[in-house]
Amino acid sequence: MTFNKVLVANRGEIAVRVLRACRELGVETVAVYSDVDRKSLHVRFADEAYLIGPAPSADSYLRMEKLIEVARKSGAQAVHPGYGFLSENAEFAQLCADEGLVFIGPSPEAIRRMGDKGIARATMKAAGVPVVPGTEGEQRLRDEELLAEAGKIGFPLLIKATAGGGGKGMRVVTDLSEMAAAIQSARRESKSAFGDDNVYLEKLIEHARHIEIQVLADQFGNVVHLGERECSIQRRHQKLLEEAPSVFVMDDEDFRQRMGAVGVMAAEAVDYVNAGTVECLVDGDKNFYFLEMNTRLQVEHPVTELVTGVDIVLQQIRIAQGSRLPFGQEDVRMRGWAIECRINAEDPFNQFFPSTGVVSEHDVPTGPGVRVDTGIFGGAAITPYYDPMISKLVCYGETRDQAVMRMRRALAEYHILGVASNIPFHQNLLQDARFLSGDFDTQFVENQFSMQEVAGDLETYPEIAAILATLVAHQQTERSAHIDRDCGNGISNWKRSGRWKEMGH
Amino acid sequence: MSKKNKIEELREKRALGRLGGGAERIEAQHARGKLTARERIDLLLDKGSFRETDAFVTHRTEDFGLGERKYMGDSVVTGWGTIDGRLVYVFSQDFTVFGGSLGEAHAQKIVKIMDMALKNGAPLIGLNDSGGARIQEGVVSLGGYADIFLRNTLASGVVPQISVIMGPCAGGAVYSPAITDFIFMVKKSSYMFITGPEVVKTVTHEDVTFEELGGAMVHADTSGVCHVAGDSEAETLAKVREMFSYLPQNNMDDPPYRETSDDPLRREEALDSIIPEDPSKPYDIKDVIRMVMDDGRFFEIHKDYAANIVVGFARLGGRPVGIVANQPAVLAGALDIDSSKKGGRFVRFCDAFNFPIITFVDVPGFLPGVDQEHGGVISSGAKLLYAYCESTVPKLTVITRKAYGGAYDVMSSKHIRADYNVAWPGAEIAVMGPDGAVNIIFRKEISEAEDPLARKDELTADYREKFANPYIAASFGFIDDVIEPSETRPRLINALEMLENKRDSNPPKKHGNIPL
Repeated sequence: MTFNKVLVANRGEIAVRVLRACRELGVETVAVYSDVDRKSLHVRFADEAYLIGPAPSADSYLRMEKLIEVARKSGAQAVHPGYGFLSENAEFAQLCADEGLVFIGPSPEAIRRMGDKGIARATMKAAGVPVVPGTEGEQRLRDEELLAEAGKIGFPLLIKATAGGGGKGMRVVTDLSEMAAAIQSARRESKSAFGDDNVYLEKLIEHARHIEIQVLADQFGNVVHLGERECSIQRRHQKLLEEAPSVFVMDDEDFRQRMGAVGVMAAEAVDYVNAGTVECLVDGDKNFYFLEMNTRLQVEHPVTELVTGVDIVLQQIRIAQGSRLPFGQEDVRMRGWAIECRINAEDPFNQFFPSTGVVSEHDVPTGPGVRVDTGIFGGAAITPYYDPMISKLVCYGETRDQAVMRMRRALAEYHILGVASNIPFHQNLLQDARFLSGDFDTQFVENQFSMQEVAGDLETYPEIAAILATLVAHQQTERSAHIDRDCGNGISNWKRSGRWKEMGH
Repeated sequence: MSKKNKIEELREKRALGRLGGGAERIEAQHARGKLTARERIDLLLDKGSFRETDAFVTHRTEDFGLGERKYMGDSVVTGWGTIDGRLVYVFSQDFTVFGGSLGEAHAQKIVKIMDMALKNGAPLIGLNDSGGARIQEGVVSLGGYADIFLRNTLASGVVPQISVIMGPCAGGAVYSPAITDFIFMVKKSSYMFITGPEVVKTVTHEDVTFEELGGAMVHADTSGVCHVAGDSEAETLAKVREMFSYLPQNNMDDPPYRETSDDPLRREEALDSIIPEDPSKPYDIKDVIRMVMDDGRFFEIHKDYAANIVVGFARLGGRPVGIVANQPAVLAGALDIDSSKKGGRFVRFCDAFNFPIITFVDVPGFLPGVDQEHGGVISSGAKLLYAYCESTVPKLTVITRKAYGGAYDVMSSKHIRADYNVAWPGAEIAVMGPDGAVNIIFRKEISEAEDPLARKDELTADYREKFANPYIAASFGFIDDVIEPSETRPRLINALEMLENKRDSNPPKKHGNIPL
């Protein structure tokens, strides 16, 4: 089905990213916004924008019926969900279909099957895709059954919420004695976050890397993969830096194609259409296991775009419009190296505590090989209501070394005032010997990297600090020597009427 | 001696002077959790702006061995400086020198800067920390106090005067702060009284601690002597700075205008529903004040004293205003002895220093009771009435709900020269509440009715509908307009601008005779 007006049901940088793709395709755009997002960039970028409710996402960006109403009112024929919010909500995809709207993404059925991790595992297993040893989520095992299964799987293992994501409802257990308590707390967290307390167990692959395969599938059964992305640089299951290709895969084209084939297999198993990502855990012996499939656009999609030259968002829209993929697997080549740093309003020196407020200055780097995807501008606010992302800084180079050098240069050019940012974290990471050598896993940031170690280096500029302090003190002295003449009122009546009286009035 | 050495000598003298009573006493002061006179000045004034006067003054007493004990500057630090760039004169009593006691030199230093403040039209702030009169100097110290009292009085209503009590302030010494416009006190480390616990014990056999007799909280909530109490010295001085931002330099100048980013046309929809349906239910008038004023800021005076009336400073469209408001959340907002005194004094300060007065009215009347009558609520209530009547600054009145009886007249009514009186649509302006009125008017009819209670309810409802509204008063022109609560802010700002050049005066007189 063809369409020429798209509603972007999202905010921030991803809404801007989608709006840009629409504009390039000559498609009209509709944005939605909450009370606090009235002045956001995505509102400015769209042809039309509609208020959908108060700041909390449950009252705005997650209100399906409101979004449908806006689509109807504005005449939009398609909806792009971006990532997060309703992007992996089968009910919403179904609702769009029922309302005659094109949902730019996979079918509700595919979302549903991949959305439940248990079902996804079972489906993958049946399709011959290797999965991490563990229990099946759809069995809805009781606590005592889980305890019994735990012994079979072996420790360490992970307890995961079937409805989970982003590390919510997830627990690492190293010993049977901790199991009971961990199950309870995982269930509680899952219940409060997703309304479902079902959990399953999974073997913890030690020293695992998180590598994912980007796939694109059109409505005619053509599925291609766009190679891998390395996402092992994480903190508390939040990705901080991504690369394409993976330094672990490097020139092992055979390994790449094997993983890619699994990605394609996974997509085919659920009749997948549109862009999706198959996340894998890879151990040191290049064994890889299916982890989950994200049935949406990924935050880190730009690194793949840079090395493959494929505009993934543009392809998403074309696929939804019913176009065939314009290239086959053999046309896909990875060339060069791309790194993405997620620039978040978080203080790396204070446990990555979110920093909210107005970004008074946002001076982004430019120049060769630098791409910045952002929804923030000088004067925009980071609110506590949404994720604290400021931008995605992506650098491209012919080699990993060149990409790293460019990223270092770009980070040095980047100036953010008003809120704390994690730029210092990235700067230090990009100096770290283990990161540079490619010798890291998903635990690297948490266990082997510390901002405290590098914090000492901050004191290497005492001269600059001293000069600054002197200047400030000097300015203060100059100012304090001065007394306001009129106290801001323009004239002193005291003086004027005093003179008048002296003249004998 | 070469020139270089002269300069060295000066520097040495200055350094010595800055030590006050010496390193040991400074340490003792710190050990008590208190700052020194100079440290306090540094906290109060803009950094580096203080210019000291009379640093070389010493006392002249030779008796009782005082001749050998002379300290440069004696027991008070005086001078001028700025707060947010604005000139202010300051004295700060130095407890490290003779316990901050006041003798001839000490008094003369204060008198000198008071005279300068009066000549140059700038506020005066006194930081008090003194054991009292210097006994060794005898009657000369008493004369010194009186010199200060006189100047406090002459300066009253000419330049703002603020006293900050940061240690003892006892006996006759209390009268200087008492005459000034505002007294700030530091909780737990300051106290004020005329006669101390020991004398009280001797005379009345009452056992009482310093804190119970004259601590900051006692004066902040019971006696009303203290206008603002701070938790620490630093916090108290920060509060002084904050209040100072509202005050004009003198009685000729306007309070300082400040640019604001708060939209003067901002409507506050929440005000439309802030008044509870049930007329006997309270709400917090401070919520109303914050919603209407710039940036929701309100500097409250006498927060803990006579809480049934709320007074303080705020800005409207960048212009400082004085606010007087009945507080329905306390004693239903009724006026009584303490609240009348509190309101009256504040209104007079506003009038003296050119603050437009914004009055929020929700008052059921004066508080009934034997205590009240015997305590002289008649003359106390008259103070507030008098203060409103004599004031010539712009007066804006918003009746939010009840305005009953004599209290209606008192609370900045049209009749006593208010300039802009508006009421919210739910306002009830009447001689008394419907209940009381029906009881009097229809006494006979009710008692003779078959079902007196039902008849009374019927008549009350009838009366409420006919008379308990703002339109009767508006029909007489006692109310200039009935406005939607949400538009209170834009309306008040517009009226303030309209009244910017208001000129009004009282008949020539030495001074009126306010019922003190």
